[in-house]
Amino acid sequence: MTSTGTGTEEIVVPDTVEELLGGEDVRPDVPWIVIVWDDPINTMDYVTLVFQKLFGYSHAKAQRLMLQVHNDGKAVVSSGNREKCEVDVIRLHGHGLWATMQKDD
Amino acid sequence: MAVDVFRRRGDGSVVVTLDADTFEVLRSTAREVAAIVAEPPDQEVSDRLFPRAYLDPTEEQAEQELRDLTHSDLVQTRLTALEAVTDDLEIREVGRRGRVEIVLAPGQEQLWLTALNDARLVFGTLLGVTQDEQADYKATDPRYEYGVVYRFLSALQQELVELLLGEMPPGADEEF
Repeated sequence: MTSTGTGTEEIVVPDTVEELLGGEDVRPDVPWIVIVWDDPINTMDYVTLVFQKLFGYSHAKAQRLMLQVHNDGKAVVSSGNREKCEVDVIRLHGHGLWATMQKDD
Repeated sequence: MAVDVFRRRGDGSVVVTLDADTFEVLRSTAREVAAIVAEPPDQEVSDRLFPRAYLDPTEEQAEQELRDLTHSDLVQTRLTALEAVTDDLEIREVGRRGRVEIVLAPGQEQLWLTALNDARLVFGTLLGVTQDEQADYKATDPRYEYGVVYRFLSALQQELVELLLGEMPPGADEEF
Protein backbone atom coordinates (compact mmCIF):
# COMPACT_ATOMS: atom_id res chain seq x y z
CA MET A 1 0.00 0.00 0.00
CA THR A 2 1.37 3.36 -0.99
CA SER A 3 0.40 6.44 0.95
CA THR A 4 0.88 9.91 -0.41
CA GLY A 5 0.61 13.16 1.51
CA THR A 6 0.80 13.62 5.25
CA GLY A 7 -1.48 14.23 8.24
CA THR A 8 -5.13 14.82 7.56
CA GLU A 9 -4.70 14.92 3.83
CA GLU A 10 -3.49 11.34 3.57
CA ILE A 11 -4.66 9.58 0.46
CA VAL A 12 -4.22 5.83 0.33
CA VAL A 13 -4.03 4.20 -3.06
CA PRO A 14 -4.06 0.44 -3.49
CA ASP A 15 -1.35 -0.39 -5.94
CA THR A 16 -1.76 -4.06 -6.61
CA VAL A 17 -4.65 -6.29 -7.51
CA GLU A 18 -3.92 -8.22 -4.35
CA GLU A 19 -4.53 -5.16 -2.18
CA LEU A 20 -7.63 -4.13 -4.11
CA LEU A 21 -9.21 -7.49 -3.47
CA GLY A 22 -8.45 -7.52 0.23
CA GLY A 23 -5.06 -9.08 0.88
CA GLU A 24 -5.45 -12.58 -0.47
CA ASP A 25 -2.95 -13.66 -3.06
CA VAL A 26 -5.18 -13.67 -6.08
CA ARG A 27 -2.54 -12.39 -8.47
CA PRO A 28 -3.13 -13.78 -11.91
CA ASP A 29 -0.24 -15.78 -13.27
CA VAL A 30 0.83 -13.00 -15.63
CA PRO A 31 4.02 -13.54 -17.56
CA TRP A 32 7.17 -11.96 -16.24
CA ILE A 33 10.32 -11.13 -18.12
CA VAL A 34 13.97 -11.11 -17.08
CA ILE A 35 16.07 -8.24 -18.38
CA VAL A 36 19.87 -8.08 -18.46
CA TRP A 37 21.31 -4.56 -18.50
CA ASP A 38 24.57 -3.41 -20.03
CA ASP A 39 27.46 -2.73 -17.68
CA PRO A 40 31.06 -1.68 -18.28
CA ILE A 41 32.72 -4.60 -16.47
CA ASN A 42 31.36 -7.89 -17.80
CA THR A 43 32.97 -8.74 -21.13
CA MET A 44 31.04 -9.66 -24.27
CA ASP A 45 32.42 -13.21 -24.35
CA TYR A 46 31.69 -13.73 -20.65
CA VAL A 47 28.07 -12.60 -21.05
CA THR A 48 27.66 -14.92 -24.07
CA LEU A 49 29.08 -17.83 -22.06
CA VAL A 50 26.73 -17.17 -19.13
CA PHE A 51 23.67 -17.12 -21.42
CA GLN A 52 24.73 -20.45 -22.94
CA LYS A 53 25.56 -21.98 -19.57
CA LEU A 54 22.45 -20.89 -17.67
CA PHE A 55 19.79 -21.13 -20.37
CA GLY A 56 21.22 -23.72 -22.75
CA TYR A 57 20.96 -21.28 -25.65
CA SER A 58 22.96 -21.93 -28.80
CA HIS A 59 26.07 -19.84 -29.30
CA ALA A 60 24.30 -17.86 -32.04
CA LYS A 61 21.32 -17.02 -29.84
CA ALA A 62 23.47 -16.21 -26.81
CA GLN A 63 25.61 -13.94 -28.93
CA ARG A 64 22.57 -12.20 -30.43
CA LEU A 65 21.22 -11.48 -26.93
CA MET A 66 24.63 -10.31 -25.74
CA LEU A 67 24.88 -7.89 -28.70
CA GLN A 68 21.40 -6.60 -27.91
CA VAL A 69 22.52 -5.89 -24.33
CA HIS A 70 25.68 -4.23 -25.62
CA ASN A 71 24.03 -2.12 -28.35
CA ASP A 72 20.61 -1.32 -26.88
CA GLY A 73 21.62 -1.29 -23.22
CA LYS A 74 19.36 -4.22 -22.30
CA ALA A 75 17.75 -7.41 -23.54
CA VAL A 76 14.98 -9.76 -22.44
CA VAL A 77 16.75 -13.06 -21.81
CA SER A 78 14.04 -15.26 -20.32
CA SER A 79 10.39 -15.23 -19.28
CA GLY A 80 7.86 -17.22 -17.32
CA ASN A 81 5.95 -17.03 -14.05
CA ARG A 82 7.21 -14.99 -11.12
CA GLU A 83 8.98 -17.88 -9.41
CA LYS A 84 10.84 -18.99 -12.52
CA CYS A 85 11.99 -15.45 -13.21
CA GLU A 86 13.17 -15.01 -9.62
CA VAL A 87 15.29 -18.15 -10.01
CA ASP A 88 16.73 -16.87 -13.30
CA VAL A 89 17.49 -13.42 -11.87
CA ILE A 90 19.29 -14.85 -8.86
CA ARG A 91 21.34 -17.21 -11.04
CA LEU A 92 22.31 -14.24 -13.24
CA HIS A 93 23.24 -12.23 -10.13
CA GLY A 94 25.37 -15.17 -8.96
CA HIS A 95 27.23 -14.87 -12.26
CA GLY A 96 27.72 -11.15 -11.81
CA LEU A 97 25.25 -9.95 -14.44
CA TRP A 98 23.00 -7.00 -13.77
CA ALA A 99 19.53 -8.56 -14.12
CA THR A 100 16.07 -7.40 -13.11
CA MET A 101 12.53 -8.73 -13.60
CA GLN A 102 9.22 -7.11 -14.34
CA LYS A 103 5.70 -7.89 -15.50
CA ASP A 104 5.45 -8.30 -19.24
CA ASP A 105 3.01 -5.45 -19.89
CA MET B 1 49.99 -12.92 -20.98
CA ALA B 2 51.46 -16.34 -21.66
CA VAL B 3 49.59 -18.54 -24.09
CA ASP B 4 47.40 -21.35 -22.76
CA VAL B 5 47.15 -20.28 -19.15
CA PHE B 6 44.26 -22.75 -18.94
CA ARG B 7 44.64 -26.08 -20.70
CA ARG B 8 42.11 -28.93 -20.60
CA ARG B 9 43.61 -32.39 -20.33
CA GLY B 10 42.13 -35.65 -21.58
CA ASP B 11 40.94 -36.63 -18.08
CA GLY B 12 38.86 -33.42 -17.81
CA SER B 13 41.19 -31.65 -15.42
CA VAL B 14 42.49 -28.18 -16.25
CA VAL B 15 46.12 -27.17 -15.93
CA VAL B 16 46.72 -23.55 -14.95
CA THR B 17 50.17 -22.21 -15.79
CA LEU B 18 51.20 -18.94 -14.19
CA ASP B 19 54.37 -16.96 -13.63
CA ALA B 20 55.39 -17.11 -9.98
CA ASP B 21 54.91 -13.35 -9.49
CA THR B 22 51.42 -13.24 -11.04
CA PHE B 23 50.60 -16.23 -8.86
CA GLU B 24 51.26 -14.18 -5.74
CA VAL B 25 49.11 -11.34 -7.07
CA LEU B 26 46.27 -13.75 -7.67
CA ARG B 27 46.50 -15.26 -4.22
CA SER B 28 46.44 -11.95 -2.39
CA THR B 29 43.68 -10.71 -4.70
CA ALA B 30 41.45 -13.70 -3.89
CA ARG B 31 41.85 -13.02 -0.17
CA GLU B 32 41.20 -9.31 -0.57
CA VAL B 33 38.09 -9.86 -2.67
CA ALA B 34 36.73 -12.43 -0.19
CA ALA B 35 36.95 -9.81 2.58
CA ILE B 36 35.10 -7.30 0.39
CA VAL B 37 32.36 -9.79 -0.58
CA ALA B 38 31.84 -10.66 3.09
CA GLU B 39 31.65 -6.98 4.03
CA PRO B 40 31.26 -4.59 1.07
CA PRO B 41 32.99 -1.25 1.80
CA ASP B 42 30.23 0.87 0.26
CA GLN B 43 26.75 0.74 -1.22
CA GLU B 44 28.00 0.87 -4.79
CA VAL B 45 30.02 -2.33 -4.45
CA SER B 46 27.17 -3.98 -2.54
CA ASP B 47 24.65 -3.00 -5.25
CA ARG B 48 26.96 -4.30 -7.96
CA LEU B 49 27.48 -7.69 -6.30
CA PHE B 50 23.91 -8.00 -5.08
CA PRO B 51 21.62 -5.94 -7.31
CA ARG B 52 17.87 -5.55 -6.83
CA ALA B 53 15.74 -8.08 -8.68
CA TYR B 54 12.71 -5.80 -8.91
CA LEU B 55 12.96 -2.23 -10.18
CA ASP B 56 9.27 -1.57 -9.49
CA PRO B 57 9.07 0.04 -6.02
CA THR B 58 5.60 -1.47 -5.46
CA GLU B 59 7.31 -4.88 -5.44
CA GLU B 60 9.33 -3.97 -2.35
CA GLN B 61 7.85 -6.83 -0.35
CA ALA B 62 8.73 -9.40 -3.03
CA GLU B 63 12.20 -7.85 -3.26
CA GLN B 64 12.75 -8.22 0.48
CA GLU B 65 11.40 -11.76 0.58
CA LEU B 66 13.64 -12.80 -2.31
CA ARG B 67 16.61 -11.12 -0.68
CA ASP B 68 15.93 -12.83 2.67
CA LEU B 69 15.70 -16.15 0.86
CA THR B 70 18.78 -15.87 -1.35
CA HIS B 71 21.26 -13.30 -0.04
CA SER B 72 23.26 -15.50 2.33
CA ASP B 73 23.49 -18.23 -0.34
CA LEU B 74 24.79 -15.72 -2.88
CA VAL B 75 27.42 -14.52 -0.42
CA GLN B 76 28.40 -18.09 0.48
CA THR B 77 28.67 -19.22 -3.16
CA ARG B 78 31.01 -16.34 -3.89
CA LEU B 79 33.13 -16.95 -0.80
CA THR B 80 33.33 -20.67 -1.60
CA ALA B 81 34.66 -19.91 -5.09
CA LEU B 82 37.22 -17.41 -3.79
CA GLU B 83 38.34 -19.81 -1.07
CA ALA B 84 38.63 -22.63 -3.63
CA VAL B 85 40.95 -20.47 -5.72
CA THR B 86 42.97 -19.53 -2.65
CA ASP B 87 43.25 -23.22 -1.71
CA ASP B 88 44.22 -24.25 -5.25
CA LEU B 89 46.98 -21.68 -5.09
CA GLU B 90 48.38 -23.12 -1.84
CA ILE B 91 49.81 -26.23 -3.47
CA ARG B 92 52.64 -25.28 -5.74
CA GLU B 93 56.10 -25.88 -6.89
CA VAL B 94 57.95 -23.29 -8.89
CA GLY B 95 59.00 -25.07 -12.04
CA ARG B 96 61.10 -24.24 -15.03
CA ARG B 97 61.51 -20.58 -15.96
CA GLY B 98 59.69 -19.51 -12.80
CA ARG B 99 56.39 -21.01 -13.90
CA VAL B 100 53.85 -22.49 -11.56
CA GLU B 101 51.49 -25.25 -12.64
CA ILE B 102 48.27 -26.00 -10.81
CA VAL B 103 45.94 -28.87 -11.71
CA LEU B 104 42.23 -28.21 -11.25
CA ALA B 105 39.91 -31.21 -10.85
CA PRO B 106 37.21 -31.41 -13.56
CA GLY B 107 34.58 -28.73 -12.89
CA GLN B 108 36.78 -26.79 -10.49
CA GLU B 109 37.46 -24.27 -13.28
CA GLN B 110 33.86 -23.04 -12.90
CA LEU B 111 34.79 -21.80 -9.41
CA TRP B 112 37.75 -19.98 -10.94
CA LEU B 113 35.40 -18.39 -13.46
CA THR B 114 33.14 -17.14 -10.68
CA ALA B 115 36.02 -15.92 -8.53
CA LEU B 116 37.74 -14.11 -11.39
CA ASN B 117 34.54 -12.38 -12.41
CA ASP B 118 33.67 -11.35 -8.86
CA ALA B 119 37.17 -9.94 -8.46
CA ARG B 120 36.68 -7.93 -11.67
CA LEU B 121 33.29 -6.69 -10.45
CA VAL B 122 34.76 -5.55 -7.14
CA PHE B 123 37.87 -3.85 -8.53
CA GLY B 124 36.06 -2.50 -11.60
CA THR B 125 33.45 -0.88 -9.37
CA LEU B 126 36.02 0.52 -6.93
CA LEU B 127 38.05 1.92 -9.85
CA GLY B 128 35.00 3.36 -11.58
CA VAL B 129 35.69 1.49 -14.82
CA THR B 130 33.64 2.71 -17.79
CA GLN B 131 33.07 1.41 -21.33
CA ASP B 132 35.68 3.84 -22.64
CA GLU B 133 38.19 3.60 -19.81
CA GLN B 134 39.22 0.05 -18.95
CA ALA B 135 41.54 0.85 -16.04
CA ASP B 136 44.50 1.80 -18.24
CA TYR B 137 45.89 4.49 -15.94
CA LYS B 138 49.10 6.50 -16.02
CA ALA B 139 51.79 5.40 -13.56
CA THR B 140 51.23 8.61 -11.55
CA ASP B 141 47.52 7.87 -11.10
CA PRO B 142 46.72 6.60 -7.57
CA ARG B 143 44.58 3.90 -9.20
CA TYR B 144 47.50 2.62 -11.27
CA GLU B 145 48.33 -0.48 -9.21
CA TYR B 146 44.77 -1.71 -8.96
CA GLY B 147 44.34 -0.89 -12.62
CA VAL B 148 47.18 -3.28 -13.44
CA VAL B 149 45.57 -5.98 -11.29
CA TYR B 150 42.19 -5.39 -12.92
CA ARG B 151 43.62 -5.77 -16.41
CA PHE B 152 45.56 -8.87 -15.35
CA LEU B 153 42.35 -10.42 -14.00
CA SER B 154 40.55 -9.46 -17.22
CA ALA B 155 43.18 -11.14 -19.41
CA LEU B 156 43.15 -14.24 -17.23
CA GLN B 157 39.38 -14.47 -17.28
CA GLN B 158 39.29 -14.01 -21.04
CA GLU B 159 41.59 -17.02 -21.45
CA LEU B 160 39.28 -19.16 -19.34
CA VAL B 161 36.13 -17.86 -21.06
CA GLU B 162 37.58 -18.72 -24.47
CA LEU B 163 38.40 -22.26 -23.33
CA LEU B 164 34.89 -22.76 -21.93
CA LEU B 165 33.11 -21.14 -24.89
CA GLY B 166 34.90 -23.57 -27.18
CA GLU B 167 33.57 -26.48 -25.16
CA MET B 168 29.90 -25.47 -24.91
CA PRO B 169 27.39 -27.93 -26.40
CA PRO B 170 25.42 -26.67 -29.43
CA GLY B 171 22.36 -25.99 -27.24
CA ALA B 172 18.67 -25.78 -27.95
CA ASP B 173 17.36 -22.81 -29.81
CA GLU B 174 13.69 -22.71 -28.94
CA GLU B 175 12.16 -19.32 -28.39
CA PHE B 176 11.42 -18.46 -24.79
